[in-house]
Amino acid sequence: MPKSIKSSCQAKLTRFDRNFFTGKEKFTYIGSGSLGGKAQGLAYIKEVLETEVAPRFFPDIHVIIPTLTVIGTDSFDRFMKQNDLHEIAFSNARDDLIAHAFQRAELPAQLVGDLRALIAQVPTPLAIRSSSMLEDSMFEPFASVYVTKMIPNNQLDTDARFGRMVEAIKYVYASTFFNNAKNYIRATRHTTADEKMAVIIQEVVGCLNNGRFYPHISGVARSYNFYPMGPAQPADGVLNLALGLGKTIVDEGIAWSYSPSYPQANPPYNSVRDLLKETQKQFWAIHMGEPLEHNPIKEIEYMRKYDLSAAEQDGTLRFIASTYKSDDDKIVIGVGEKGPRIVNFASILRLDEIPLNGLVRQLLKVCEDALGSMVELEFALTLDERHGKPARFGFLQVRPMVVSDAVVDVSLAELTGENVLVASEVTLGNGIVDTLRDIIYVKRESFDVRCTQAIGKELERVNHDLVSSGTPYLLIGFGRWGSSDPSGGIPVNFGQISGAKVIVEATLPNMNFMLSQGSHFFHNITSFRVFYFSIEHMGKYKIGWEWLDRQNVVSETKFVRHVKLPSPLEIRVDGRQGRGVISHE
Amino acid sequence: MSGKSFNPFRMAQVQFDRIADMLELDQATRDFLRYPVREYQFSIPVRMDDGSVKIFRGFRVQHNDARGPGKGGVRFHPQETIDIVRAMAMWMTWKCAVVDIPLGGSNGGVVCDPHNLSTKEQEQICRGWVRQISRDLGPLVDVAAPDVMTSGQHMVWMLDEFEAIRGQRLPGFITGKPVSLGGSLGRKEATGFGVVFLIREALKELGLRPEQTRASVQGFGNVGQPAVDLFKQLGGKVTSVACWDQKDQTSYCFKKESGVEFEALLGITDRFGSIQKDRALEQGYELLPGEAWIEQDVEILIPAALENQITSDNVERMSKNVRIVAEAANGPMTPEADKVIARRNIFLIPDLLANAGGVICSYFEQVQSNMNYYWEKDEVLGKLDVKMTSAFDEVVQFAKKKKMYMRDAAYYIAVVRVVQACKDRGWL
Repeated sequence: MPKSIKSSCQAKLTRFDRNFFTGKEKFTYIGSGSLGGKAQGLAYIKEVLETEVAPRFFPDIHVIIPTLTVIGTDSFDRFMKQNDLHEIAFSNARDDLIAHAFQRAELPAQLVGDLRALIAQVPTPLAIRSSSMLEDSMFEPFASVYVTKMIPNNQLDTDARFGRMVEAIKYVYASTFFNNAKNYIRATRHTTADEKMAVIIQEVVGCLNNGRFYPHISGVARSYNFYPMGPAQPADGVLNLALGLGKTIVDEGIAWSYSPSYPQANPPYNSVRDLLKETQKQFWAIHMGEPLEHNPIKEIEYMRKYDLSAAEQDGTLRFIASTYKSDDDKIVIGVGEKGPRIVNFASILRLDEIPLNGLVRQLLKVCEDALGSMVELEFALTLDERHGKPARFGFLQVRPMVVSDAVVDVSLAELTGENVLVASEVTLGNGIVDTLRDIIYVKRESFDVRCTQAIGKELERVNHDLVSSGTPYLLIGFGRWGSSDPSGGIPVNFGQISGAKVIVEATLPNMNFMLSQGSHFFHNITSFRVFYFSIEHMGKYKIGWEWLDRQNVVSETKFVRHVKLPSPLEIRVDGRQGRGVISHE
Repeated sequence: MSGKSFNPFRMAQVQFDRIADMLELDQATRDFLRYPVREYQFSIPVRMDDGSVKIFRGFRVQHNDARGPGKGGVRFHPQETIDIVRAMAMWMTWKCAVVDIPLGGSNGGVVCDPHNLSTKEQEQICRGWVRQISRDLGPLVDVAAPDVMTSGQHMVWMLDEFEAIRGQRLPGFITGKPVSLGGSLGRKEATGFGVVFLIREALKELGLRPEQTRASVQGFGNVGQPAVDLFKQLGGKVTSVACWDQKDQTSYCFKKESGVEFEALLGITDRFGSIQKDRALEQGYELLPGEAWIEQDVEILIPAALENQITSDNVERMSKNVRIVAEAANGPMTPEADKVIARRNIFLIPDLLANAGGVICSYFEQVQSNMNYYWEKDEVLGKLDVKMTSAFDEVVQFAKKKKMYMRDAAYYIAVVRVVQACKDRGWL
């Protein structure tokens, strides 16, 4: 973000005056230094939100940035220095050892008074979120690199609440130096030493029901859609919605996705059976009951995944779900009748009972105008129990998107041929790469869906070596890359394969071959301009495995092989058509 | 320490009388609170290293314990007098009351100079002091703590002697213990940090930011060091530090316009807070007479050494830029100097409030020790900050509302609380 915008954002903010909810300002800061990318983005958009968007949708929807205070990066610097943490932070120590060292360290004296005062007056759930300096840079993805810790903050004893918040802050600080973050940063032009962490302490948007705290709806909206369906155009954008906390979307890729220009369009499923199979069945919430465990270095220490039946019990499905009536083979809006539930937000999208779609379209537009680029937003929404309205819309994050506009033509004829290694009509990205000579691939003969975790670890090691030597590569594997479900693909995070310039996935049977556009993995793929090829299991295009197996092997492990070619591959992706081809000599 | 003409107890009584007049207290209440409720003076025989026996004079004064067990330091000083101890005990009563912790005021000491005593001899003095007074001390009666020229080691000897007499482990008997033996994390920094927490708040009152200010500090010991450290962390600049030089038997002021480098200065400071003169010159400091600290062109003065340092003789030499005086020491300013400060509209953070961080953290240590359960440092310092800031807010708001001088406002609140406690108990 330009310095002038940064300094004007920070200049408009007020210091935290030890009144979190009751203070005049709802967006404050503690200490000094940078606010970090996330907070800067919010600070920048705050005025626009308050003056241009919120009034238009009031009183049906209260549009807010949930109350927050930001601990500036100077506190991070002081924390690192006074506790001599640089050595372990920059070492190759395991993440848990780094996290424990940070837990044992002490927060700066000038910070704890404000934190104590804050927690003494706030007995509701809080999100302790990373806001790093490198996130601040335009076109630097940094989605899900660092942690966010949700704390229930409902203990009666202020000391206990203070202790949990301090643990969470230290954990966020520690995540700056986790393996994933280091791998990630290596793939950018920065080093870990460049990174500093601000921390956002923010109210969580949600309601308490039966010991669970969660929003009715979480959402990720993008102003560019890489997989437009039907009449929708890429520039119409895409909206991903889910019940409960946004982790479902950003980490698991599960969401109801649609184009904001066509909220009532039918979903891209061939049958009701497919719809029932793919619909959201579980949701994430903050567990507010008896603590399940005490583990300050676990991101989801206070989070739990619940079945849809829990939401049914809470009464939160009312405006979110529809019901399949098998007798009539129909889907009816709402949950008034018995039957399997489909989380399709029909009341809102089809009946427009709450003008959410209009709001998100407006937000995408104002954010695009403000940032001067395509954007991605994250938000959370609670609804009035009985009437839906007024709803409370919490604007959580805005990031720029990277969209290439180069013109590349790939004809259908080019997808077949002797020299084609990989071809696909389901690709992401746009452009030409003709410098890659290294290929990392998962061996067909040893691939086992039960061993995907181990495969991920092997890939991480190879990736580390190649990134360290500045060698980009083509990556080929089975199943959904970045899947949170090990049985659905290889559960790597982007940092573990950050050196790949092209990723090919050979989908497994019964798998949706489109990456979820709401996920952080997706965001990182597109922002790093990584080309993505999806090869359907029984589709017409195959991968040239035999050719691959004949290439010069550089290294090999149980599941993974690294080969180096005498000449570079030619990789061409046509973003308009969604076609791509990888050819060898 | 103090000239013959200066009597700190008299000064403390004058301060109290002023408030008693404002409150229109009856004579009985005045008489009760003008003097300590009980005093002990005793002799401590010590066999010196050379085999001779020397008698040291010891004191313990309990000024008032209506609000809770007495609390106060034990100081070793060659010029210690009963009047100094009485004054300290009285000030402690008000201090505990103004920050609203459930403790009364005590103080004690021994007339001796630790510079001239071996470790063994100091240990004997500590144990001897406890033996003389143990019947009237304890976690629920009167809790001692370190003071001028006493340290954690002295406290441990005293604790050990007390526990031997009582036949029990009673870590709540004394505070200022090393952390490994029941001390509280954060205690070392508490007084100094507390001063700076309140300077931070005072700057907010004046619409100033720490980065816009410079400070001059008298004293670089247990209070001065953390105060300098935290003030710099907040963005302020400390341009001079004054301290006692044991060898030259005089004080010096070490000045650097660009700001002292805390770590480097700490590296050339001994355990009594004396800075090595020659090494300081090597580090680029300008060497000035000790009393020059008060003349420096700064916005903030922090007397953090002894009482009776800002008097009618030197108060007018303060720079016209001085906006805040934060009394990190006890009784550093005489009533005459007080009048000048008030006239010049300088924001005073009175000693009662400014250096209460130490006693608050002592209270935390006492609580932790009595429970035998110890808190993390973040928790201690967070609670300290909030407690001090709340007390400061209360005094400032009261001072504004009643159009009172800050010292008067702090005393007023404190005396009201103590008087109420005495009345509630049926003493008055």
